Amino acid sequence: MLDLSAILQFFISGVNLGCIYAAIGLGLFVVYGVTGVLNLAQGEFVMLGGMLTVAFYTAGTALVPSLLMAVIIVALVGAMLYRLIIYPARNSSGSTLVFLTLGFAFATEGIALSVWGWEFKSLPSFWGSPNIQLWGATIFGQTPWVVGTTLLLVIGLFFFFGHTIHGKALRACADEPLGARTVGISTDQMALFSFVLAASLGAVVGAVITPLTMTGYGVGMPLTIKGLLAALVGGINRAEGVILGGMALGMAEAISAGLMPSGYHGVIALGILIVVFLSRPRGLLVAPGKV
Amino acid sequence: MRTVKEKIRALLSGREHRMVLALFALVLMTVPLLVGPYAVIVMVDVGLYSIVTMGLILLMGFAGQISLGQGVFFGLGAYMSGIITTRFGLSPWLVLLVAAVAAGAVAIVVGRALVRLRGLIVAGVTLALNLVFCSLVVSLRDLTGGATGLPLIPRLPLGGFAPSNTLFSYYVVWIVAILLLVFSLNLVNSRTGRALKSVNLLAGGSEDTAQVLGVDIIRYKVQVFAVGAIYASIAGSLYAHYTGCIEPGAFGVHFSVLVAIMAIIGGMTSPWGAFLGAGLIVSVNEALREVMPAVVGGSTGAYELIAYGSILVATLLFLPQGLMSIWRRLQPQERFR
Repeated sequence: MLDLSAILQFFISGVNLGCIYAAIGLGLFVVYGVTGVLNLAQGEFVMLGGMLTVAFYTAGTALVPSLLMAVIIVALVGAMLYRLIIYPARNSSGSTLVFLTLGFAFATEGIALSVWGWEFKSLPSFWGSPNIQLWGATIFGQTPWVVGTTLLLVIGLFFFFGHTIHGKALRACADEPLGARTVGISTDQMALFSFVLAASLGAVVGAVITPLTMTGYGVGMPLTIKGLLAALVGGINRAEGVILGGMALGMAEAISAGLMPSGYHGVIALGILIVVFLSRPRGLLVAPGKV
Repeated sequence: MRTVKEKIRALLSGREHRMVLALFALVLMTVPLLVGPYAVIVMVDVGLYSIVTMGLILLMGFAGQISLGQGVFFGLGAYMSGIITTRFGLSPWLVLLVAAVAAGAVAIVVGRALVRLRGLIVAGVTLALNLVFCSLVVSLRDLTGGATGLPLIPRLPLGGFAPSNTLFSYYVVWIVAILLLVFSLNLVNSRTGRALKSVNLLAGGSEDTAQVLGVDIIRYKVQVFAVGAIYASIAGSLYAHYTGCIEPGAFGVHFSVLVAIMAIIGGMTSPWGAFLGAGLIVSVNEALREVMPAVVGGSTGAYELIAYGSILVATLLFLPQGLMSIWRRLQPQERFR
């Protein structure tokens, strides 16, 4: 049973799932790093991105404009979440802010349900990409798009944080908010920006994974939890940690889905990750001196 | 001789808890005689949610520990009761107690690992536990009935026969709820309660100060985590025997978050808040489920989600201490408490 093609198949689906979880984890990382808010509505951005792209696409718009419009709208939703809900309560405790994002997530789910109904929705593979056969393993046509998009997002984020003045300002807010304010960086604007960035990231991911996983009003919360677990296991304070955690979760899920009787893989993967996390509560990659 | 005003103040300040408690119990015991069968069904739900919420209030309001995983313990109680009574035919009352003890033991193990983490991270991990529990129930099909559910759970017996009407369930649930309320109020005013207050920022305490003064924070937090789990498990067992059929969907993320919403809306400064929060949310749920789709159309379920979300956000922004804080504002200010 365990021939080369099966192993290759696990690896491919593992990378694919890992990319999805890592991308969602990065959205959580951007907001948590800059504002210290654990944004439990990140998965809702993903859901909205997917649903809006489907809505525009089925209304007859071409794929790229549909995606762009979806990303812009979700970015505005992210800005609204910060301005109307997080900003007025910015001096509250961390747990209050978590519950605020949770309330926003519930309301968003409800609105999506009332607008689009219960049905799961899908998109065709981007530009009809055909499935690829490789040494007996099947790669879905959409998989290269998912992996490629995640790679692009990661490279973009690293470039942004490492080499642009805005990115450096964001990192300054994350490291030392008081110092950042002293040198003239508006931490409020940077916080707003981090929400917009996370929302756009989520929307892109949502649109790209829809041909593969389908989307529905309720997909947001499970995705948030997976992304959160990925981020926690890897270490939510470092982007590399989040990516590593996402890949670990994806691989664990793919391998246990291949080896275990159907249904058990969710338990095994999540169970392993929780045990790993509880034994290394600071994550696999720890930023020096940070908890 | 005290004036009437003083008497009212004394009542409100909680110094005469026993009076209020007796009145509360009396009202609850007479309610089913006055209202219709539909209201009794709704009140059973309120009672069950109140029990779980009360446990969470002790945990969040007094131990300062977030949990978004109460549904796991509610589900543990329900499934343990369901499985053991249908398979081995043991007395449901005995199984209820065994399940509660087992849930408490699980909570002690989990709690030991959780209390060392930061508050926000705990929220994330407990949220993930819901997913683990639900997929576990779906996977262990032979034991739990899988996604389709576990049917034919016997009713709670009462001295030889098992009344199947809602009225009996109402009395069982509410008597348990009142007993647990008494326990909670005593716990809050006990050594453990005072130790927890000293830890909790909400009550004006500080973890560091408490630790320096020799309060074993971790032990107290784990204890309260176990108490919350036991409450949830008891409610779960009662729920299983009440509905007769349980399915994993009832114990997921939504249940856990809903309980957290009830705790926040009710107010986490007192176990009484549980009844306010549960009562409000269950009523809103009933009103929206029955009325909105009929009037406006649209999918069932959508308006509840929107309402829960907006109520939670509005409460946190405008009434961060919950509905109980309105009550607190009425009572005389006590200084140097």
